[in-house]
Amino acid sequence: MAASNDSERRVVVTGVGMMTPVGIGREETWSALLAGENGIGPVTLCDVSDLASQVAGEITDFDPLDVVDRKEVRRIDRFTQLAIGASAEALEHSGLDISVAADEIGVMIGSGIGGLQTLEDQFQVLFDRGPSRVSPFLVPAFIPDMAAGQVSIRFGARGPNYNTVSACASGADAIGTAFQVIKRGDAVAMLSGGADAAVTRMGLASFHASRALSTSYNDDPEHATRPFDAGRDGFVLAEGAATLVLEDLDFARERGAPILAEICAYGQSADAFHVTQPSENGEGAARAMEIALSRAGIETSAIGYMNAHGTSTQLNDKFETLSIKRVFGESAFDLPISSTKSMVGHTLGACGAIEAGVTVLSLRDQKGHMTRNLVDPDPDCDLDYMSEGARDLDLSYAMTNSLGFGGHNSSLIFRRFDD
Amino acid sequence: MRRVVVTGLGMLTPLGNDVESTWDGLIAGRSGIDHITAFDASEFEFSIAGELKDFDPAAHVDRKLLRRMDRASVLALTAAREAVADAGIDIASEDPADVGIIVGTGVGGAHLAVENQKLLDEKGARRVSPFLITQMLPDTATGLIAIELGARGPNMAISAACATGGAAVGEAAEVIARGGAEVVITGGFEAPLHPIYYAGFMAMRALAQHEDPSKAARPFDADRNGFVVAEGAGLLVLESLEHAEARGAKIYAEWKGAASSNDALDMVAAADDGRGIAVAMEAAMANAGVVPADVDYINAHGPGTPLGDRVESQAIRRQFGEDADEVLVSSTKSMIGHMMGASGAVEAIVTLLATQRGIVPPTINFETPDPDCDLNYVVNEAQQTDVRYAMSTSVGLGGHNSAIIFARWEGN
Repeated sequence: MAASNDSERRVVVTGVGMMTPVGIGREETWSALLAGENGIGPVTLCDVSDLASQVAGEITDFDPLDVVDRKEVRRIDRFTQLAIGASAEALEHSGLDISVAADEIGVMIGSGIGGLQTLEDQFQVLFDRGPSRVSPFLVPAFIPDMAAGQVSIRFGARGPNYNTVSACASGADAIGTAFQVIKRGDAVAMLSGGADAAVTRMGLASFHASRALSTSYNDDPEHATRPFDAGRDGFVLAEGAATLVLEDLDFARERGAPILAEICAYGQSADAFHVTQPSENGEGAARAMEIALSRAGIETSAIGYMNAHGTSTQLNDKFETLSIKRVFGESAFDLPISSTKSMVGHTLGACGAIEAGVTVLSLRDQKGHMTRNLVDPDPDCDLDYMSEGARDLDLSYAMTNSLGFGGHNSSLIFRRFDD
Repeated sequence: MRRVVVTGLGMLTPLGNDVESTWDGLIAGRSGIDHITAFDASEFEFSIAGELKDFDPAAHVDRKLLRRMDRASVLALTAAREAVADAGIDIASEDPADVGIIVGTGVGGAHLAVENQKLLDEKGARRVSPFLITQMLPDTATGLIAIELGARGPNMAISAACATGGAAVGEAAEVIARGGAEVVITGGFEAPLHPIYYAGFMAMRALAQHEDPSKAARPFDADRNGFVVAEGAGLLVLESLEHAEARGAKIYAEWKGAASSNDALDMVAAADDGRGIAVAMEAAMANAGVVPADVDYINAHGPGTPLGDRVESQAIRRQFGEDADEVLVSSTKSMIGHMMGASGAVEAIVTLLATQRGIVPPTINFETPDPDCDLNYVVNEAQQTDVRYAMSTSVGLGGHNSAIIFARWEGN
């Protein structure tokens, strides 16, 4: 097993892969985010004529045949296809050869929902044509751990392997858990991230039924997701995936890996309050940030950028702002904050991973992207959300938050890597 | 690294609606498998499953809430309450931030998802339940348990198909060992007895068939032909040893180590050489600081599939070497079926109870030995024996494997 003692073991990020509505690939996504581009459009993946929310963040140019073969297209759900694409890119970016330590390299890919489209399709088959026509690939395509399973199968990683599920915090928890797996010596490297592809009839209908989705911008999709803006009316459902390659620092150094950033701390908490509403004054989210800061051993003043959860729902943006103020005090007003969801939409279990990737790239390039569509500030959301455009930043540490239905809160802190 | 102990247990299985009635059934070698009554299975070629008996959700959950909740969440919540009551822990007197919930499931709220799909198709989007999305997700139960108990510590679900329960219990123990929480309620649950899933498993040709349902699950027997899908939940209260001792808790067993791995081969079939399971067993033993000769009992995954049982038996032989003929092996799935995401957790409980009680439950329906499965199986009748260290293994679709090791509690 991997060497050295737990408290000394440091973990670094050596690769990032992304599939998002603003770009297929890491640099495509990152340059679109820095340019403030919109990824939201009318839904094309399913019939939405009778649904209330008709906009989404789709990866419109995604061709499944770029990541799986023709036979597998029908056997592997789209969320897993996206995870495979993001993982291939991350692995290539890191230059990691899994075969050198396959038993000690694992995969942890979070998914909030799993293969929803597969379930819908097969339910239709059961209903219309009876049980004998149901696909033998239903179960292995639908179950939410299959992104982690398939990525390990494709790339030969035999180490620790499962899926963390915590609704919209799933991707962040996968990265946080993978970080801990390496710290405690159970692996030398982990492919970790998140994937969801729930832009389906059931996905749109059920999130709308819980009153979470934007419905006022069906004719103006590019303005539908507007975190922290007074005119926000819900989140925009999106699909996507991101994978980060995390490595034990010594292992990464020995192989001469490119080091993008160090992951320093993971804080996790539960509101224990309500299934959909944040706890009073953002207490739960604040606690996750405080735990992460304390584990990183830094003061709030060290954080130079925050990638917020910022979903564009009334409640989330208001309470997340409160929670940031609760933790950062007066200095909250000086902290540059932005929401990737203002361009990408809400990718559910993938967002924590996409936003962790964005945070790593922010540290690499010393830049933060804007919050798009923030034109009419909400008096309850009065921090510096970088609405004017991307900004050059002088960053040592950056934080990203993910907050999920069910009251899950996760915060990750990354640091610019210098020896 | 802090020591972690088990102080509370809760179970719902086809053999009983609590821990002790399940244990009694297992030790008596009873089958909990029968024909399906949960839904009209007349269109299916055959119908065999492990259903809970006389379980009344309304006796456990308020009627209004029950309409919103998936059966899977009801099972999780009910078993969590039993585990917490058994542990005698008063969460209100704990620091809520030190109490976490890490509970796994293979699928989550399957029933609500398909019922609402039918509403959407037939009656339109307006009829979809506002509670669907929050009640169908795999992490719904972790949120519900946290809300009921006021537990504000680390909170998430873990999913690794049929290796879910073992992976969740292992991760929960690691969180405590590293100081992330004092108490974690962990385990697994599954309510897969719905036509869509039954049809999916049947299409995979994974299900066991037998004219007598109670004989369908027959792990390691030469005539085995699949697994029997079952519903249930297994929940455990894990605590740091200091915390358990400070409050004078009764201790069932000590957690020693766990590991997970992936075959990295195929999404359905296990690696033929058992390499993936062997990796998990080896890493779990290394983490636990034990060698094969220390392990007295393995509660095997033993699903009853022709390939699964053979590969696992060979992996145990490979990993245990000359000690492979000594270690006792049994599969509780022979009596309670395969509870998917719950099975690893239920079997972890059975494993640790074997250390506490000095008795190993049998593999029932074992009639004809298979030359490919040649371990020291405890067959048909429970065996009394000292169990100092015991291991539970789980193997899942997608190539997931997990192994977890407990030690008999002999005082500090």
